[in-house]
Amino acid sequence: MNPALKNDSPAPLVQLQDIDVGFGHIRALESACLELHAGEVVALLGDNGAGKSTLIKVLTGLVRPQAGDIRVNGESLTLASPSQARKQGIEAVYQDLALVPLMSIARNFFLGRELTRSVGPVRLLDEEEMDRQASRALVQIGIHVRDTSEPVEGLSGGERQSIAIGRAVHFGSKVLILDEPTSALSIGETEKVLQYVEAARARGLGVILITHNLDHVYKVSDRLVILSQGKTIANLPVEQIEHEEAARLIMSGAGRKTPSERE
Amino acid sequence: MANPISQRLARHPEAGAFVGFIAVFLFFAALTPDTFLSGRSAASVLTSQAIPGIVALGVALLMISGEFDLSVGSILGVASLVFLELATHEVSPLAAASAGVAAGCFMGLINGLLLVWTRIPSFIITLGTLLVFRAICLTAISGGRIVRWSDVSRTDPVVLVPGLVTLALCIAVAVVLLWTARDLGRYRPQNRFTLGLSRLGAGGCLLATVAVLGWSLGAGIFEPWVIDLFGVLNGRIDIGAAAGNFRMSIIWWLVLAALFHLLLTRTRFGNAVFATGGHGEAARAQGVDVDRTRVISFVICGGLAALAGVLQVCRLKSVDPLRGEGLELEVIAAVVIGGTLLKGGYGSIIGAVVGTALTGMLRTGLVLSGVPSNAFRGAIGALVIIAVIINTLVRRQR
Repeated sequence: MNPALKNDSPAPLVQLQDIDVGFGHIRALESACLELHAGEVVALLGDNGAGKSTLIKVLTGLVRPQAGDIRVNGESLTLASPSQARKQGIEAVYQDLALVPLMSIARNFFLGRELTRSVGPVRLLDEEEMDRQASRALVQIGIHVRDTSEPVEGLSGGERQSIAIGRAVHFGSKVLILDEPTSALSIGETEKVLQYVEAARARGLGVILITHNLDHVYKVSDRLVILSQGKTIANLPVEQIEHEEAARLIMSGAGRKTPSERE
Repeated sequence: MANPISQRLARHPEAGAFVGFIAVFLFFAALTPDTFLSGRSAASVLTSQAIPGIVALGVALLMISGEFDLSVGSILGVASLVFLELATHEVSPLAAASAGVAAGCFMGLINGLLLVWTRIPSFIITLGTLLVFRAICLTAISGGRIVRWSDVSRTDPVVLVPGLVTLALCIAVAVVLLWTARDLGRYRPQNRFTLGLSRLGAGGCLLATVAVLGWSLGAGIFEPWVIDLFGVLNGRIDIGAAAGNFRMSIIWWLVLAALFHLLLTRTRFGNAVFATGGHGEAARAQGVDVDRTRVISFVICGGLAALAGVLQVCRLKSVDPLRGEGLELEVIAAVVIGGTLLKGGYGSIIGAVVGTALTGMLRTGLVLSGVPSNAFRGAIGALVIIAVIINTLVRRQR
């Protein structure tokens, strides 16, 4: 077991406590909780509509909770915008919000933090440097693209996903969040993504993995958190729960107490 | 499979418009060579298109950001009115012109804020403000009245800049030019074309510095600088009587096009505009402030429409209540012909310039070949449809 999982470890990297989110009269999250330590992979599981994506959007500043406490490195803060979350070293790859199709690979890679150079009183994009750094960063994690000035539109689903993951791995300094990263990928590409996850953990990052594939969960995760109807119903190390029981919990939504509650 | 040339062409949204421009040019050149291939007809095309051309720059930028402004014609009307009303009421013409442009920016701001606050499609919002802003002109200039500069003065207004202010301005410009020249000179890109361009730019900046300082020392210190505002903004460019009616607005159009091309393709703001139009939510997830980008785009669009109105007043020297009516459709057509995608995320300023020039050339060509001038609108309509079909085909090559 990963040493970072021990309860006496220093303050968790990220701690979401009693998060409430509502959209109109729909309650997407109700006292949802999530904890993530450095060098740990947490699988965030749950049926469709359980609130997984909403919970990570809270952590990336895309959704503001109505109630609850967000702590990063033990410090309570509000994440009012995605750029604030990024400043905290939190990077995410979303299922549906990965890349802008009509823009080039390099521009997507640096979107929102473009490299510039001064020309007199103005700052212009340094395209050459962005192209260079993007292709170098992608090669470093094993992604080979022909030409980073090529638009993303012409790439396959797998290639796009790898670039989005490559970007998050490159910039994420603390937390890496992957929302269904393997849903559009071939077997080979999926293997690669799971390798990225393990490499990120080895670098000491905390990784949150959202997936429907329990095989992947058992392959790379240290702990799993199950959401049902906006509530956290389980939070256990993978060793403490069997594959079948996890599947049953995800489908039935009947809770199982977290270790601390049992004590 | 697509060949590399068509693939490379497809990277440029304006490629289709360029091809169309050449085709229409060759068509009219063959049809009416004597009249069409003359300085006069070129002047007529460029002078008539400079005003819609400047409006089109803003509309293109806004369309790339994924939004739509139907109110530009009305904004142009109100800005023209603000400018001339103030100028005819003893406000300094420079201040009046600035107020006109500021009014346009403010109307753009209203459009933008309504969009981000209500989340109603910009098509509907600007359809509403088209009518509201038009009503301002219609009520302010009621009863068939026309505001005319000639009612208050027989001579064009002049702006007097004291010699020392001129000198200070020249020094400031020279400092900025030298600063730019230094940065361009130090830039060492791998790409030889970019390197050449940087060197050329640095040289140009140095030459411009010498010219500005020389001019200011020659004329600036001793006497006030007398600016004929109407002349500078949209006067006739004197290049011989036979050359045709070239006006200053053409130069402003091209200068602004170059600046906005740079803004859109070489700055972080431009990147945000493309990302906002291409996939707003993905851009937001990457920390791009998409709402701010949208509001700024609307302000720019309103400001450019207003500036076009001010330039137009400098030539016509009057404002009527229907100034700018119907302009929005002509401009949107030109932008779409220029290869900008209606749903955003793709397009170019160069395309907007070529598209505007193309519609103007079509009008002049049709008139010269004896087609009734009212048929022009039909021709533009057909051109829009053909252009979109071609642009879609070209884009598929990517």
